[in-house]
Amino acid sequence: MDFWYALVVGLIIGAIFGFILQRGRFCMNSAFRDIILLKEFKLAKAVAVSLVVLMVGFAIFAFSGIIDLAPKAFKPWSAIVGGLVFGIGMVLAAGCASGTTYRVGEGMMGSFVAAIGLTTGALMTGAGVLSTAKTYLQEVVIGEGPALTLFGEFNADLTPIYMLIIGIIGIILMLVFWGLPAIKKKRRANEPLIKFENFTKSVFKKGYPWWVTGILIGIILTAGYVASNGVVGITGGWMDISLWFTTQNSVMWAGFIIFGIILGAFVSAYIAGEFKFRVPKDGFMILKQFIGGGLMGFGAVTAMGCNITNILGGVPQLSLHSIVTGACIMFGAWIAAYLLFMWRDK
Amino acid sequence: MVDITETLDCTGEVCPYPDVKSKRKVKKMNSGEILEILIDYPLSAERIPETMKSLGHEVLSDEKIGDSSWKILIKIK
Repeated sequence: MDFWYALVVGLIIGAIFGFILQRGRFCMNSAFRDIILLKEFKLAKAVAVSLVVLMVGFAIFAFSGIIDLAPKAFKPWSAIVGGLVFGIGMVLAAGCASGTTYRVGEGMMGSFVAAIGLTTGALMTGAGVLSTAKTYLQEVVIGEGPALTLFGEFNADLTPIYMLIIGIIGIILMLVFWGLPAIKKKRRANEPLIKFENFTKSVFKKGYPWWVTGILIGIILTAGYVASNGVVGITGGWMDISLWFTTQNSVMWAGFIIFGIILGAFVSAYIAGEFKFRVPKDGFMILKQFIGGGLMGFGAVTAMGCNITNILGGVPQLSLHSIVTGACIMFGAWIAAYLLFMWRDK
Repeated sequence: MVDITETLDCTGEVCPYPDVKSKRKVKKMNSGEILEILIDYPLSAERIPETMKSLGHEVLSDEKIGDSSWKILIKIK
C-alpha cells in the first residue's frame, strides 16, 4: 500500500469511525458487561445491528469482486484463552480496544494508560517473552481448508451467499421485533418519527440512538474493508505506531486509523462540549487500567484479533474462530464484572 | 433550592463505576432524601437518569454544568 494512500484514506476513515464511536458511546465493554451488570441492552443491540449491516455490506462487495473475504482459520485454544483473557482485561481497563482508543480523544488519561498497556501486552505476545505461549495456543487448528465457517469450509462463492441470507434475515427480525414496536410507541404518543428541525443538534451535540450507531458503524467498517481489502483492527494499529518509532519505511495503514479515531473522537467531543482532560482520582484505578490493557493485548494477539477484528470483522464473515472468540470475550467480561462489581452486592 | 442530603462525586471515573456507585448509594438512602451526582463521563451521564427513573426515583434535575460535566439531582422514592 502506498504511504500517501494509507495516510489520507486511513486518517479519513479512522476519523469518521472515531466520530461515530464517540457520538454513539460505542464500546463492547459496556455492551457485553451491562447485559448482566445493569440489565441494559442498548449497546448490545447496536453491536447486533452493526453485525447484520456488515454481513450484507461485506457480501455485496465480495460478490462484485471488490474485496476478498479472508475469515480466520479456527484455532480453538487461541480463541478460547485469548477471548477470555481479552474479556477480563477489557473490564479492568474500562474499555474494549476501540472504546479505549476513542476515549483517548475525549481526553481520558486512564484510557491512554490502558492503550499503552494494550500496546505493551500485544508487543510482548507478538514477538516478546509471551510469544511462546501464543505459539503454543495457536498450534491446534481445526479444519482442512483455509478457514472453517459456520457452514463448513470457507468458499469464496458460497460463503457470501450465506452471509447475505443471514444478514437479511437478521435485518428483518430486528425490524419486526425492535423497529415496529418503537414506531408503534411513537405513533401512540403522537410524536413524529424523525424530528428534522433538530437535525444539526442531533448530529453534532447529542448521543446517537443505538440503532443509528449500529448502522453507521456497519457502514464505516464496510468502507474500511473496501479501502484496504482487509478488516479494520485496533490492536494492530497501536502495534504499528510502536513500530513506527523503531523501524524505517513502515507503511502504517492501521496506525493512521488509530490517529484518525483519536482525532475524530476529539473533534466530536469538542463540538459537543464533552472534551476534558480527566485523570482517575484513584491511583489504583490507573494501575488496573494498565494491567487490563496488557491482558487485552495478550488476548488480542493470541486470538488473532481484538474485539473489532474478530467480532466486527470475522463474525460477519461467519468465521468459526471469530464466533468462538467473540463468545469468550463476552464470557470473560461477565466473569470479571461478576467478581468486580456484583459479588460484593450479594 | 433543594436540600442536598448527600453528594456522590464520580468525576474522573468511567463506566461502570458511576452507574454501580450511584445504584449502591440510592439503596442506602432513605425516602425523600436528595442525592447529588457529579459526573464527567458522557455515557453514564446519559444513562443514570434513565436508570434512576426505572428504579422509581425522581430525577429533579439533570444539567450540563461545563465541558463534559453534569450535575444530576435524584429524589429517593
